[in-house]
Amino acid sequence: MSGDQFTPDAQRYLDGGLHGELPRAEQVSAERLLRAAESYRDSLAAPDASLDDRVMEAVRLRGRRGRRPEVWRWALESRIRPVWVPIAAAAAAIVMWLALPRRGAPPAPPVLAVAQRSDTVFIRFELAAPGAHTATVAGSFNGWDAHALPMVRNTSGTWTVTVALPVGEHQYQFVVDGARWQPDPSAHAQVDDGFGGTNSVIVVGPKGLVRT
Amino acid sequence: MSGGRGARRGVRGVLSLAVALCVGVPVGATAQQADVRANLAARGLPPALVDGVVAIVTDAASQGLPTVPLADKALEGWAKRAEPQRILQVVQQFAGRMGEARLAVRAAGMASPPGDVITAAAEALGRGMNAGQLGSIVRVNRQGGRLAPGLRVAAALSAQGMRMDQAVAVVSGAMRRGRSSDQILDMPSIMRAMQAQGFDAPEIGRRMTSGDGDHGEGEMGGHMPPPPHRTGGDGPEGSVSSPRGGA
Repeated sequence: MSGDQFTPDAQRYLDGGLHGELPRAEQVSAERLLRAAESYRDSLAAPDASLDDRVMEAVRLRGRRGRRPEVWRWALESRIRPVWVPIAAAAAAIVMWLALPRRGAPPAPPVLAVAQRSDTVFIRFELAAPGAHTATVAGSFNGWDAHALPMVRNTSGTWTVTVALPVGEHQYQFVVDGARWQPDPSAHAQVDDGFGGTNSVIVVGPKGLVRT
Repeated sequence: MSGGRGARRGVRGVLSLAVALCVGVPVGATAQQADVRANLAARGLPPALVDGVVAIVTDAASQGLPTVPLADKALEGWAKRAEPQRILQVVQQFAGRMGEARLAVRAAGMASPPGDVITAAAEALGRGMNAGQLGSIVRVNRQGGRLAPGLRVAAALSAQGMRMDQAVAVVSGAMRRGRSSDQILDMPSIMRAMQAQGFDAPEIGRRMTSGDGDHGEGEMGGHMPPPPHRTGGDGPEGSVSSPRGGA
């Protein structure tokens, strides 16, 4: 660390990923910065509990207000070439015909709604595995990709990762050292995965999970 | 003359429409299968396994069943290094369960259940819900808005230790009282919090069924334990919670 520049290790230290592994001079500086940051954070007034709701409501209102003029402007200013009118009408007719339920014929394959709502909630996963070299989370939210969501180890050997999940039900497991799949005992429920293992289940509401 | 030209134009229009339909619909289905194939191959599944899964997916698609959960199940099995034969068995079993689930949902009065309802119903059946219990939830909410979350939550409450019939009664009751999807989705967290405070599953179910525990406005009252601690703020964005495991 020289001047205002931090080494990657110092940056990791400040992010909580390293502890006690920096050169002495860097560690002193980093600890001074952390103390300053904590002091600054303590001096801030805590927002009241309804702040999130009010901000999200304001964002939604703004979105609604902003869209209407766009629609009107499009309707008033658009110039459609006559040749496109019958083509568009034919396309619309085909779409409507395809959408109508038909007796005797199986319905068109429905598109699975993976996320039932657009809302997302940040969920922090934690795994106490001091002896592990790597840990990841694989689940229904990332195609069960054992490499997609690496966790970060903190000083006490706890691995964590925070991820934005759509509200709804999610199944997952931790993958330790790239090969060992293990369920999360703190999840809402555990279910048979069909492959001889157990998936952990969380049901995420729009206000997150409840920690006890 | 002009009438004949008009008739020819009409015939041409009908023929064009027929050609578009004959070509367009199969192309859509084929494109879907190609997507599944590409997705599975990209994750390293061997060609024989990909072929097997695509065959099941094609069959499911032809019956109007959702296909994404089938591909996801194959990916899950492959990621967990299950034997290809076992993966095909599980995928086929889930396809069959989706067919049963759709029949049960239709029998309860929802003529064309959407894909997410079929999937949620299939998973609920797989976790021990029977067709009668499934139907009782469907009948409360035939329009479907809260159906998939309701089915998933009933299955989750059951997996958390509540008897399935009680879990179904809790969810049906909440729907009947007009609870939103959001409120229903909070129920597993509420149950978890109450369990941590010493309530057993039947008691939690009793309180939820009587409206004490589904956190409707003003219903928690004096019957409920102190409200659990919610981490990370109450906003729809920014809430941080902590599923914690140990190795």
